[in-house]
Amino acid sequence: MPDIVLEYAAEIRLAIGQTFVMVGISILAALLLGLPLGTWLYLSRKGQLLSNQFVFSILNLFVNTIRSFPFLLLVVFLIPFTRLIIGTAIGTAAATVPLAVIAIAHYSRLVEQSLLEVPKGVIEAAVSMGASTREVVLKFLFVEARSGLVLGLTTSIVSFISYSTIMGVVGGGGIGDFAVRYGYQQFQTELMLYMILIMVILVQLIQFTGTTAARLLDKR
Amino acid sequence: MISLQNVSKAFSGQPVIQSVALSIEQGEIHGIIGASGAGKSTLLRLMNLLERPDTGRIEFDGMDLTNLSNRQLRQTRQNIGMIFQDFNLVGNKTVEQNIAVSLELSGVKKREWTNRIEECLRFVGLESFARKYPSELSGGQKQRVAIARALANRPRVLLCDEPTSSLDPSTTSEILRVLQNINQALGVTIVLVSHEMQVIQSICNRVTIMADGQIETTIATEPAGITEITSDAGWFLTQLTERRDPHA
Repeated sequence: MPDIVLEYAAEIRLAIGQTFVMVGISILAALLLGLPLGTWLYLSRKGQLLSNQFVFSILNLFVNTIRSFPFLLLVVFLIPFTRLIIGTAIGTAAATVPLAVIAIAHYSRLVEQSLLEVPKGVIEAAVSMGASTREVVLKFLFVEARSGLVLGLTTSIVSFISYSTIMGVVGGGGIGDFAVRYGYQQFQTELMLYMILIMVILVQLIQFTGTTAARLLDKR
Repeated sequence: MISLQNVSKAFSGQPVIQSVALSIEQGEIHGIIGASGAGKSTLLRLMNLLERPDTGRIEFDGMDLTNLSNRQLRQTRQNIGMIFQDFNLVGNKTVEQNIAVSLELSGVKKREWTNRIEECLRFVGLESFARKYPSELSGGQKQRVAIARALANRPRVLLCDEPTSSLDPSTTSEILRVLQNINQALGVTIVLVSHEMQVIQSICNRVTIMADGQIETTIATEPAGITEITSDAGWFLTQLTERRDPHA
């Protein structure tokens, strides 16, 4: 281990921990809210099971609006909302709020896209067998789209890591913040490069895991 | 058993089915034939309300399907099996899982699944394929799995939407034989939509001819029997010789 990394070992460990918390919460938000939202987007489309032009337009507008914010501005814009939920707008916990919001919007769009790739005939077969909308989603759509859902989540997680690096602006910490403060602002370029290296390895691992899982899940 | 009365259906203003009346009798194999765009698939899809009619009644055993609650409709659909041109199996489920989901939907107890799945697969001659994925099967085998899946609920009617149109001639006769067997051995009423006259002629007792969203006529026929085509190679050879002859 290089000396400079050892010198800052405690801070680096803390920063990695903060990144994991921020990305972890983003993943949870994506799965618990982004997956249902994306499914609803899909189902409310014209010609789908819960087809409703009004609902679709509202959901679509919400997802597009969130995603069109430059992320830094979204963080600032959401400060009052963050304060309402967490009680403060500063710190790692507060940083998870805008991250969760973008995570939901980001993943829901990818969910919608994966579901659109399921052949319509499979859904018709399910309906003809007497499946309810809930059963169609759980027993047919998610099963048939599962590798796309995993790949989408992988792409999302990589984005979440990138988003988390700017959370230093609200005191969220994390690897990105550490690299900026110690590596860039204190002219310890070497330290910054090591942080980038950590991120590269992290992303490689996530992408490899995601791609492999998707391949193993795909029996089509 | 199924009766359509004064049924009309339009897609974005274009009439597809125009005041059609049709009755499917218990135990028959009823063919529906017509050119593409004649509305025959839509007519079939109206019978289990995959398409809702704009006007008219669709009765199954005297119940008007259009008046049922969602829950009642789902239960009724379990009595009406359906197979499709593109099979529509779940690619990420094995053959037995594809059939199991159908049993699960109709509330069959889990301990009965193994027997029921085996029974259905034996009926279509695919006992040894239970653990395979659809991608490992040929088109004819996939259609037989789809038939097994539709039979798992022990339906009283089987709706067949161009079931042989993606299959080669020898596989077509294989599937027709399975359908005939279902009708004769299990007493399942069959409604068969096809644009191929040979398919309709071979097994149907009654044929409805459609054109431009209307029924031209319904006639009783004597099933002509399934033409034997023993091997693909043989069929291919006849095709080749037929094509070569004029230049010989």
